[in-house]
Amino acid sequence: MTRPSPKEIKAIADVAGVPVDAEVATRIANSIGPAFEGFAAVAGTLPFDLEPASFLVVQTAKVSK
Amino acid sequence: MSAEPALLSLTEVAQAIAQKRLSSREATKSCLDRIAQWQPRLNAFLAIEPDEALAAADAADAALAKGNARGALHGVPLAHKDMYYDAGKIVTCGSKIRRDFVATTTSTALQRLKDAGTIRLGSLQMVEFAYGPTGHNTHYGAVHNPWGLDHITGGSSSGSGSAVAARLTFAALGSDTGGSIRMPAHFCGVTGLKTTYGRISRAGAMPLSQSLDTVGPLARSALDCALLLGLMAGADPNDPTAAAEPVPDYVAATRESITGLTIGVPSAFYVDDLDPEVERILDETISVLKREGANIVQVELPDQRQLTAACQLVLAVEASAFHKRWLIERPQDYGPQVLMRLQNGLAIPGVSYLEAKRWRGPALAAYLAAVAGVDAVIAPVAPVAAPTLAESDVGNSPDAEAVIQRLTRFTRPINYLGLPSLAIPSGFTKSGLPVGMQLIGRSFDEAILLRIGAAFQRATDFHERVPEPA
Repeated sequence: MTRPSPKEIKAIADVAGVPVDAEVATRIANSIGPAFEGFAAVAGTLPFDLEPASFLVVQTAKVSK
Repeated sequence: MSAEPALLSLTEVAQAIAQKRLSSREATKSCLDRIAQWQPRLNAFLAIEPDEALAAADAADAALAKGNARGALHGVPLAHKDMYYDAGKIVTCGSKIRRDFVATTTSTALQRLKDAGTIRLGSLQMVEFAYGPTGHNTHYGAVHNPWGLDHITGGSSSGSGSAVAARLTFAALGSDTGGSIRMPAHFCGVTGLKTTYGRISRAGAMPLSQSLDTVGPLARSALDCALLLGLMAGADPNDPTAAAEPVPDYVAATRESITGLTIGVPSAFYVDDLDPEVERILDETISVLKREGANIVQVELPDQRQLTAACQLVLAVEASAFHKRWLIERPQDYGPQVLMRLQNGLAIPGVSYLEAKRWRGPALAAYLAAVAGVDAVIAPVAPVAAPTLAESDVGNSPDAEAVIQRLTRFTRPINYLGLPSLAIPSGFTKSGLPVGMQLIGRSFDEAILLRIGAAFQRATDFHERVPEPA
């Protein structure tokens, strides 16, 4: 998972229907870059049948010390 | 009875009114007097409603005289973060966009407090759309910290932290999506409870991130938080994410000893790069807990930086999605920093967002396995005490993200995991600024955090100290 470039961000924002100029795209790239890098070790490693609702299953499991 | 009723705790004032040792009018008038004194310095309130509040107080007193007490908080005046819908009232959400928005419904959390008998003093300041950790607000001005008027309150529940600390309201609702209850609690020296995701209904509360938003109180003590949580927690047909988990007697939990409980101190991340005064106060807090009978052990937690990153991906996308229509139609009506952060979400691919959501279950399981031997974990809320308003007024500058990341470093992982966390006043810096620590528990186990917090507060007086007007 690599951080998107300002050029890619500009394209994604256009598709989202909220166009941004080059300066804003650069600022966004700098701003969210660390999140992409921080999550890089997890991205692309999750098992096929893991779905978001698994969070609620873990949350409500009775766990104590 | 205290000469100044506003200085009583929530629990004390509720009991005094119920036992007719104090009238609701006296309690309300005392709060209004302090608001008049402090508001020009703090900017903590967005709306102050003295006539309506006193009329409601008189009605509460009349009802009580006839034997018609509404509930545990009969006649207690409160004010809340201005994002809880209150039918017929303007709810600005701290924004220009909603400056004239009149709610047509009342949020479940607020309604449950009203059903317990509370009355309204007005509404409290907040960061625009609850999206910022400092307390600055482009549209309504920054909220000031009563312990140092040049310092931030923390956000986004800025008015709640400031007003509770200055004893302008006995307690206040806040919301916590990335640290927005715990940071004002830490910076302003009050007790703040970030609840388990799903513990309190979010119906009628302004949304920021549906996966991360939580409702909770800021108050003067763990006991007061316990009282409020017990009134608000539980399932709600208007919010399917509000869990049907049993609601224990939180107030009873605060009376229990902590002898024999085990509290974990993280071996890394939460103890790294701390300001020396925060480090000192962490050590002193641990010593107090040990004296009170807790066992202290070190815990090795999974990589918390990954949790922070995942939290950022989820929050950014969900916030942008909520705001998309206004991003198209009214971008000029946002403050620069909030606009910048909402634009961030546009750049995150759907697959990345969903990977961050899918990982949440395994990440929580890994955390719970790591803390299997302890009842709670203790950590600083932030690595520093309150910065000045000037040094943290970064707007949308290139430094903004770094400032936000530094302040929210210790709070965001807990939002991603959906865990409860109680921030408690734990000491003061040499310059007189408060510092708070957070107790982090298991899902839906707020009771043990309130028990530990109350024991700490029986042994210390940090939560009872009151700032003096400058």
